Amino acid sequence: MAPISNWVTFANPMDNPLYQFGAVYNLPYDVGYKIWQLLGGLIAWLLDVLVPGNGVSLWLVGNAVSNALALVLMIIVVFAVCFIVNLTMIWIERKVLGRLMDRRATRIGPLGYLQCLGDGLKTFLKEHIVPDKADTKGYMWAVSIIIGSSVLVAGMIPLSYRFFLADYGSGLLIIFGLFSIAPFMILVAGWSQNNKYALLGGMRAAAQMISYEVPMLVVFASVALMAGSFNINEIVGYQNDNVWFIVPQIIGFVVFMIAATAEAERIPFDLPEAEAELVEGWQTEYGGMKWGLIMLSDYFRGYVACALGAIMFLGGWTLPFVDDSFLPEIVFLLKVILLFFIMVWTRGTLCRIRTDQILNIGWKILLPLAVLNLFVVVVLKVGGLV
Amino acid sequence: MAMKYLDKYPKNNSRHLWVLKSFYTTFKQIIKTTRHRPVTIMYPYEKEWIPDYYRGRPGLVFDKCVGCGICERICPTTCIEMVEVDDAKAGKVVRPQVNVGRCMMCGYCAEYCPTKAMITTPEYELAAYTREGLIFDPYQLAYEGHNEEMQVHMHEHLLSDLQKGITDNPVNASLVDRPALDDAKCIGCSRCAKECPVGAVEMIVVGENDKGKPIKRPKFDEAKCIACEKCVMICPKDALALKEVL
Amino acid sequence: MSKMWVTMGPQHPFSHGLWTLKVQVDGEVIQDAEPVIGYLHRGWEKECENRTYPQIIPMADRLCYSASMTWSHLYCKVAEEAMEIEVPERAQYIRVIADEICRIQSHLMWLAAMGTDLGNLTIFLWALREREWFLDLNVKLCGQRLTTNFPRIGGVRNDMPYLFERDLMRVVDLFEKRLWDIIALTDDNAIFMSRMQGVGHVTRKEAANLGLTGPSMRGCGVNFDVRRDDPYMVYDELDWEVAVCDDGDSYGRYKVRIEEMFQSCEIIRQAVAKMPDGPTRVKAPRNVPEGTHVARLEDPRGESLMYLVSDGTDRPYRLKVRSPIFVNVSASKRLVQGGRMADVPAIMGTIDMCLGETDR
Repeated sequence: MAPISNWVTFANPMDNPLYQFGAVYNLPYDVGYKIWQLLGGLIAWLLDVLVPGNGVSLWLVGNAVSNALALVLMIIVVFAVCFIVNLTMIWIERKVLGRLMDRRATRIGPLGYLQCLGDGLKTFLKEHIVPDKADTKGYMWAVSIIIGSSVLVAGMIPLSYRFFLADYGSGLLIIFGLFSIAPFMILVAGWSQNNKYALLGGMRAAAQMISYEVPMLVVFASVALMAGSFNINEIVGYQNDNVWFIVPQIIGFVVFMIAATAEAERIPFDLPEAEAELVEGWQTEYGGMKWGLIMLSDYFRGYVACALGAIMFLGGWTLPFVDDSFLPEIVFLLKVILLFFIMVWTRGTLCRIRTDQILNIGWKILLPLAVLNLFVVVVLKVGGLV
Repeated sequence: MAMKYLDKYPKNNSRHLWVLKSFYTTFKQIIKTTRHRPVTIMYPYEKEWIPDYYRGRPGLVFDKCVGCGICERICPTTCIEMVEVDDAKAGKVVRPQVNVGRCMMCGYCAEYCPTKAMITTPEYELAAYTREGLIFDPYQLAYEGHNEEMQVHMHEHLLSDLQKGITDNPVNASLVDRPALDDAKCIGCSRCAKECPVGAVEMIVVGENDKGKPIKRPKFDEAKCIACEKCVMICPKDALALKEVL
Repeated sequence: MSKMWVTMGPQHPFSHGLWTLKVQVDGEVIQDAEPVIGYLHRGWEKECENRTYPQIIPMADRLCYSASMTWSHLYCKVAEEAMEIEVPERAQYIRVIADEICRIQSHLMWLAAMGTDLGNLTIFLWALREREWFLDLNVKLCGQRLTTNFPRIGGVRNDMPYLFERDLMRVVDLFEKRLWDIIALTDDNAIFMSRMQGVGHVTRKEAANLGLTGPSMRGCGVNFDVRRDDPYMVYDELDWEVAVCDDGDSYGRYKVRIEEMFQSCEIIRQAVAKMPDGPTRVKAPRNVPEGTHVARLEDPRGESLMYLVSDGTDRPYRLKVRSPIFVNVSASKRLVQGGRMADVPAIMGTIDMCLGETDR
């Protein structure tokens, strides 16, 4: 009988020939790999104790199974980190808004941190209701895709050079594409609910999406142009080597933050769910956990917006003049939270704007500014200044 | 007198700052409430200060009450009912019972009470599990630690006094209004004397009728009378009427 | 999208009570509108016919919870006219102070609701925070926060309590400073301005034809205020201005209300300084002589009016209430037509709806 240390080895995942990420160390994969080596090793050891010399034990700790289950566990780890960051952001939003409005905010748990979990539990216990006259397929699929795409795009955001799901050349474009699936589905959701408020909310979401995707895409283009790549790692590395893009592209940063606020449907751009005139907008007929998940996915999208801002303009997980090897994930999340604080502050300060004004701002102000930003980038690039 | 806002506003320079002044103001508030506590009162744990004369549920000082029923009649929601209770000292007495579920906390019962037995208590947490639990009998109406502040006094002045220039003679309906007897209608049944809660009516013999029986007429003790109108209402021949002094 | 009817209400975040606004929208633009009221009819006027004159005062509080002081004052005023009672001078001053406290807290309630209508909860909570001071003043004055039951036929319930003037002056001084903080969120905010300016535009002539009253009317340039033009109590002895604005849109109505809050502070200050000593309440007779009487006064929402028919008994034969919101809400079709769906709260918010007094 072999001792347990033969089975639970905690080997280096990069020694596995099936390692997916080439020469780059991947932290969540490593965590998943280590968890599987502990769990699978224990199971294999137990089996080996019971039935000495069986093949299943060897198979369990083999390269193929380790790699496959490490990938699954890695996804869970990435999602868990994302989820905890989100709960923190919801907590920050509620606390900051509370302080801003001169009231107490969340009260459950230490410093009110567990309030979101309590609210989640409450919505979870609610009845699942589908309106009688609603188009059930559209009703359920639309909300599933909204929530799913929001969670997916939040998981796609790398927290550092070593904490990512996939490192690919068109990183920004993929994230942007996934980011803009949800507004389409909001239109579908608004249509399928058979409710006039929801329909108006869905239409507003469509109008808003059209007017805010374009300047946002131009800003993406100017960032990619300056960095010379769509790869997030390279964009961050370029900023670390030269200068944070917020310095040459301050216009682009402002345009991006406004457009991202609109994309995440937060006040002042939460027209699709304007509760004053459209009761709850496109979410009118969603109740229970569907509604709870929609609210959660709103924060996932807010997180994505802030994370993109941090990656594209604030140098991602790097710090200037400081040794940036010190927990890059924490540095990155602090930047995200800083941007999110600005979003919360905006929400507490401004009123919701009107449908025609949102189109005016989108087409007449933001798009020219975005193009101006692109022009600045082109001049700098051609002039060889950056 | 000038307009404070409409005059100042056209010259308001912060309008040119787009939305920046709003951001500055809210940020100031964040700093302020982070350093100090927000103004919220955490209600079930800490409560707002209320004065003793706060108009909560009505209260009753049992010993002062004479059972005159003025509160029952003045109550706008008719939530007060006079019930008979057994008192250790006085035997069977009539005292008010309040349905707090209907009470609108107007404080009229305390205001019009001639003996100031009804008070307004600063108690406002009145939830009960049943509707019956909201009906406060005369003993439940008692309030521990009642004081002078909880009484409501009517400092009324007579119009005739004011016309004469007397301004320091506050009166009360129960001090000045008195029942007046229409001698021709009275049959001397002495129901008013039995009904009077303060014993202010005394039947006195004023003469004899042709059959030799005594003719009785009520005599009102002005000092004792509280103008509760019970005698007026019980009178079978409408011989009594309340004479208002204005 | 072809035209469709959207029924907003009776339970709707914008409606501030129970009423329905049916709007016909072409996309987002409103083509037609129809207000439907009557969901909160409580038979108030009929109830009053079964109550004696003093019993109606707390009922009048319930006409509108945020203008309870002025409504019970108006009832007392019409009853005093019927009984031909002159209110003592100190009571008149106390009533003026109480009315202005009520006006400020009502306008703050409106400002708070306006903030939520436009999607900003900060304005809501800040305005309610300042309003709390005035409710505390109400508690100190008469023992209740909202349903004050304070005026009496022939005076007021009680004299001002000990140190009330000091608290009043402190609150008014502090409030004038703090109101500028809220104004920094509204007037100095370009988005708030763009939502308010140019929506729900009504000219001076149209306002007169529609019968708008109160700040909604003065926001259209009609220079009329019952307090000044048909003075009651001691308003003519105090030095103050009627806030009038010629804009005629939602922003004009907003400006008039903000200025009225400042003017109310000024009225309170002067009234406290000028207050004489003396009696505060006259003994009122129980029965009212036969006759018909009308009294009007400036409510926070406009000119409110009561019509009393008495038949010589201790109960009114008929008590009719003319609510300022009843006429203002009838103008809602004209106000929202041509606007957008998102303008409906911004327009109807400035009317300052209160359904308790509309449906009665």
